[in-house]
Amino acid sequence: MKFTLKIWRQNGPHERGQFVTYEANEVSPGMSFLEMLDGVNQRLLTQGEEPVAFEQDCREGICGSCSLVINGIPHGPDQGITTCQLYMRRFSDGARITIEPWRARAFPILKDLVVDRSALDRIMQAGGYISVNTGGAVDGNVLLIGKDQAETAMDAASCIGCGACVAACKNASAMLFVAAKVSHLATLPQGRPERASRVSAMLEAMDREGFGTCGNQSECEAVCPKSIPVRFIANLNREYLRAGIVESGLPSESQSPYAESS
Amino acid sequence: MVRLFSHFQSSVGKKMVIALTGLGLVAYVVFHMLGNLQLFEGPQALNKYAAFLRDIPILLWTVRIGLLSLVVVHIGLAIQLSMRNRRARSVEYTIHRYRQASIASRTMTISGIVLLVFVGFHLLHLTAGVIDLGFSERLDSEGHRDVYGKVVHAFQNPFIVIIYLAGQLGLGLHLSHAISSSLQTMGLERAALNRLLQGLGVAIGLLVVLGNIAIILGVFLGIVH
Repeated sequence: MKFTLKIWRQNGPHERGQFVTYEANEVSPGMSFLEMLDGVNQRLLTQGEEPVAFEQDCREGICGSCSLVINGIPHGPDQGITTCQLYMRRFSDGARITIEPWRARAFPILKDLVVDRSALDRIMQAGGYISVNTGGAVDGNVLLIGKDQAETAMDAASCIGCGACVAACKNASAMLFVAAKVSHLATLPQGRPERASRVSAMLEAMDREGFGTCGNQSECEAVCPKSIPVRFIANLNREYLRAGIVESGLPSESQSPYAESS
Repeated sequence: MVRLFSHFQSSVGKKMVIALTGLGLVAYVVFHMLGNLQLFEGPQALNKYAAFLRDIPILLWTVRIGLLSLVVVHIGLAIQLSMRNRRARSVEYTIHRYRQASIASRTMTISGIVLLVFVGFHLLHLTAGVIDLGFSERLDSEGHRDVYGKVVHAFQNPFIVIIYLAGQLGLGLHLSHAISSSLQTMGLERAALNRLLQGLGVAIGLLVVLGNIAIILGVFLGIVH
């Protein structure tokens, strides 16, 4: 198969970027999208040109590294997959494919198609954890968790933090990401004690990073490689309302549940 | 209270205030439509109802100031968040494809502006009576202001009808996304009720718009005269 690629090239964070057109020849239908790009880069290297920078790691859809907007859709035209799980057979021979990086003020472009997603890490640092004192590992099944609860927590926890939700949202909002993380922890008993302070801190961090706000268009849900539903955003809003009521009533929250027993 | 206020200073908190003020305005337009349907009961019913609404000045002005503050807060915060959203994506995509966003959700700003302009026109036209200077208000046989006559006179004019129908289009478009969206923002969501909650928004929007259009076209087509 043959393709014409229109790829965003940008030398550095503060440089001006532009689209450059490349030809991808001798592509087999079984190649993944990233393997096709590897081929293009191989040729660029032999020609002495700078290869196209793009992020990738596991190439099996679990690490959340790959981040390409393909023909206007983050992770390409198929639902529930990452870019590395997209195969070239999905495109018709001779097609013109436009490849852009995630575009958001909170995700500055580092080089070509690589963006800095550490804003998501800083949101996690603000509250996406549970405080447990170190010591012996807790025995298995000490805390019994109902199946429905476990399933819900797992649905939310399947977020790989790729940022496709931000890329797809017309407001570049990170609500689905924060919703998944908050819902995951608030659904389980281990995350309950800090739930009020967590949701406030994570939303504050989200605002600080310059993400936009949610318009309930559900575009994020459509491109999420883990198909995380927007009902978790409603759950996040609920957690936030609850935190507002709890926090305004109590003098101090966020005391570690394990502090007394140590 | 101060804590509660500062808690809702975040973007999500502001969205909740937009949702609540919006739902307050939805309640008003439903009430407004249902009350005005009394046009079909004849001049006496509508004029008596209009007189009743204006009978107690304190009630009238409380409602008016209440509505005005809902509108000011709703629009003020919406502008603030829109500016934030615009900043959040400083460079646009060359190609951007929507996957499932409804037309209504993509045009909330436009439908909101259409609605604001229309409400301004409507207030000047039927409430203040500034626009239609050719019409002088009379009293009906029972001594009430002849609101019925004013409405019938207004909607016999095709230009006025077109403006009002355009306003209804803006209203319907805005509400069909706004109501379900507000419920989601307030955290109202249950897997079993999802369909119902989403349908509710469209249903209420459609109800209001159809009721209002019935009044406009009822007069224009000569069913009410």
